[in-house]
Amino acid sequence: MSAGSVPSGYEVNDPGYPTPQENYLTNSKGILSWAFTLDHKRIGMMYLIGVSSAFLLGGLLALGIRLHLFAPDGILFNNALFQWLAPDKAPNDIYNQVFTLHGAIMVFLFIIPSIPAALGNFLVPVMLGAKDVAFPRLNLSSFYLWVGGALFFVMALLASGLDTGWTFYTPYSTTTDSSVILATTGAFILGFSSIFTGLNFIVTINTMRPPGMTWFRMPLFLWATYSTSIIQVLATPVLGITLLLLIAERTLHIGIFDPEYNGDPVTFQHFFWFYSHPAVYIMILPAFGIISELISVHSHKRIFGYRFIAYSSIAIALLSFIVWGHHMFTSGMSPITTIIFSALTFTVSVPSAIKVFNWVATMFKGSISLTTPMVYAIAFIFLFTIGGLTGLHLGTLATDMHLHDTYFVVAHFHYVMVGGTVVSFLGGVFHWWPKMVGKMYSEAGGLLSAALVFIGFNLTFLPQFILGSRGMPRRYATYDPEFAPLHQMSTYGALILGAGLFVALFVLLMSLYNGKKAPANPWGGATLEWNCTSPPPFYNFERPPVVGDPYEFGDIRWDTELDRYVKVEPQRERVPSETPAETPAHASE
Amino acid sequence: MMSLLGDYTSSKLSVFPKSASSFSGESDWVFHFITIVCVVFFIPIAIALFGFAWKYRKAKGEPADSQVDHNTTLELVWSIGPSFLLVVMFYFGARGYLDMRSIPEGAYNVGVDAYKWGWGMNYGNGVIHPELHVVAGEPTKLTMTSKDVIHSLYIPSFRVKKDIVPGRYNYIWFKAMEPSEKVMTDEECKQLADKDKEENLSWDYDARQCTPDGYNFYDLYCAEYCGTNHSEMQTVVVAHETQEELDAWIKKYSSRGPDESPAAYGAKLYERRGCKSCHSIDGSRLVGPSYKGSYGTMRDIVGGSQVKVDENYIRESILNPKAKVAIEQGVAYQPVMPSYKGQLSDDDIYSLIEFIKSLGDASAAEEASESPAEEAAEMASEEAAEAASADAEPVSVE
Repeated sequence: MSAGSVPSGYEVNDPGYPTPQENYLTNSKGILSWAFTLDHKRIGMMYLIGVSSAFLLGGLLALGIRLHLFAPDGILFNNALFQWLAPDKAPNDIYNQVFTLHGAIMVFLFIIPSIPAALGNFLVPVMLGAKDVAFPRLNLSSFYLWVGGALFFVMALLASGLDTGWTFYTPYSTTTDSSVILATTGAFILGFSSIFTGLNFIVTINTMRPPGMTWFRMPLFLWATYSTSIIQVLATPVLGITLLLLIAERTLHIGIFDPEYNGDPVTFQHFFWFYSHPAVYIMILPAFGIISELISVHSHKRIFGYRFIAYSSIAIALLSFIVWGHHMFTSGMSPITTIIFSALTFTVSVPSAIKVFNWVATMFKGSISLTTPMVYAIAFIFLFTIGGLTGLHLGTLATDMHLHDTYFVVAHFHYVMVGGTVVSFLGGVFHWWPKMVGKMYSEAGGLLSAALVFIGFNLTFLPQFILGSRGMPRRYATYDPEFAPLHQMSTYGALILGAGLFVALFVLLMSLYNGKKAPANPWGGATLEWNCTSPPPFYNFERPPVVGDPYEFGDIRWDTELDRYVKVEPQRERVPSETPAETPAHASE
Repeated sequence: MMSLLGDYTSSKLSVFPKSASSFSGESDWVFHFITIVCVVFFIPIAIALFGFAWKYRKAKGEPADSQVDHNTTLELVWSIGPSFLLVVMFYFGARGYLDMRSIPEGAYNVGVDAYKWGWGMNYGNGVIHPELHVVAGEPTKLTMTSKDVIHSLYIPSFRVKKDIVPGRYNYIWFKAMEPSEKVMTDEECKQLADKDKEENLSWDYDARQCTPDGYNFYDLYCAEYCGTNHSEMQTVVVAHETQEELDAWIKKYSSRGPDESPAAYGAKLYERRGCKSCHSIDGSRLVGPSYKGSYGTMRDIVGGSQVKVDENYIRESILNPKAKVAIEQGVAYQPVMPSYKGQLSDDDIYSLIEFIKSLGDASAAEEASESPAEEAAEMASEEAAEAASADAEPVSVE
């Protein structure tokens, strides 16, 4: 359809391209204008760079783990280079530190902040049609807290490493001589960063929705962010207190966790998982939000079961607080407690399943464009479904007795965390990249990265389900030779996966140099962020955007003359003289 | 390293290790049930996912064929429907779990001491051995505690696992269904053990696929991460055909034989009781100081003073390891050794001291150099060392 075919009485709404001055990337210059910026978009971009660097580091450590495990007695860390780097450490010690740092960096520095802090920061205000988040200064401080926490992790790495596993289980963590205090201090600071981000989003979404945007006209990404924020604010303090207690136990021997001073180590596990189980949903809920957007926009079809998806986000957030005990089925809780936790655990699978069904139903009879974000979204549904279904084996008590703390668990949570969060994060980055930087990336390169990630990921982690059910315990630096073929498959997969991620990075970076200019609405989305230019101007919108249904694709048309999507709206009569006083959104609720 | 799976699974492609306890049948059945349910749900989802993606591809700008955005009946069906299957899964899981938690009365009791990085199975009357020996067809109860950090006892073939938490007892029980076969005669075992002694090696469970007593076995792993040698913290389970056979095995290890020298018995304890995982006898630095040539030397300890390595110091170090922590070449050892108070008899401690003496006795050498009886003393210590290595019967598992 071309602009000429617009029926009379309708107007074409096309923001076109930004002028150099009105673009948030260029409206002020110099490193200080970034360092002290209060603009949520710039903070989001800084977060994106930060979490991506953390991901790169954590990913390299993961490759180290896989290369070491290529042979039963270990390869990589037996190498002379490592003996020279760490002369007083056995290969097993180096392996233990590498898997610990891989886990800690990936969880605390990457997966938890990736979507909410990087993409969320950029998108929440734009999707709301707002100028910024409610507390811009709090937002900047949350970024610097993240940097501070990351520095503590780096210090721990440079001091004497960390070998407790990312879970810091006592009494190992109170007795080992590695840098537990530095790392827990880092995690403590990162907790504040997470709480500030969550708090900011809750207030932003509650108070800054524009007139006309009711709760049920909010894009599902905002529902997901809102649910995530609730968990961040309520659960993170528990982790903070737990880590402080751990530090106190280590230095003052107060006798809470360490049996040597009449403490109980299992108490630590209860405290720790009371945070860290909800934290699993901090990692996956925003991914659900991204996928809901991606599937709907690239199918050009209303999301199926909007309310069920929205409610299921909230349900997951609430249920996440009462299932932590399933991490401890084998720790010696009373049978009745164990059985109750098993029953509660099954309840979480219902809202997760609802989402999967709804996404697939959304694609039914849609108009699907197999773009890079859409391919990542499809990969997500496939991988997350496997991750979710194998959770049933672990929630079931009789089978968990066999599978707990084996590679089955490793495979399960990587399917959820990597297959889920990382894949959706990548899909989200590709989806919003044109909006963020104003450039289109190479579609062929993007699809190649998605294919490599999908193949490499499955080759890495499918064999681990078999390893685990055959009895291979996790966190082993060496293993029995009969497990070798499966470990080798897994290592080859990790190399392919790593290659796919590097292709993704390369494609995105190359787009900055030779990418085509991005139009305001490259995919034909109906949410508000596609109403401003790409990249957005400093204050996001020239005038307050008209709030519509975020999944109404009827008035988004492909314009062949302009070669881009435009919005076609019925012409409204301009209000001649005075505008009515605006009622704030929260007052009308 | 041990390799067993090749032997006791039906094929390399098998999803499970051999099913060998009264629980493993039900556990595997529940696993397969869940897996089938998962596959039944997954295949249609995957077909729809890829099928829709292919079938409904359209050119840019073409509107979707439908904009239907909800169907309450359908949504309620797929929300509530699967819940029934979840209840069934939960029920079978909980039933199997309760079986594992209801310890039958009169079960054969073995104490388990887990420590970094080894196992002490306590058969009563001071018999402690790293291997777990039980009677097939009879319930066995393990009363488990840890001396340092959390460990976890995991026998894949039995489908059982339980954390071992310091400061409390955790229990587990199982019934091994099939006795381990005796695949090597005592004669053959002795020959192999003698060969090991000559080459100063320990028993290779992996290559020989049997224990030093000639039985084939099931793997037993530590499943809770516990530090440096977590992945080496493995031992084996042997199921005997009858109680008499088990009793005979226990008797074999019950105490120092009447004509066994203390140093030789000390060497066995060194292998069996986990000293070996942290203290070398060839002078290399492991988690703790090496025994080689240590007796009679002066040793720096944390706090700045020195102590002579003599009988009293060794005894104190065994019973109260954190009292005087050694420093070697300016680097202090980690104070991680658990106390063996109540775990070793006076005779055991005496034997260990004699064993350490036999590995080079600096004080004897000193005295010898001052006296004309130099040669005699040297010969005596050499003899002891020989006796120690000749009788050492390595049983600990790497």
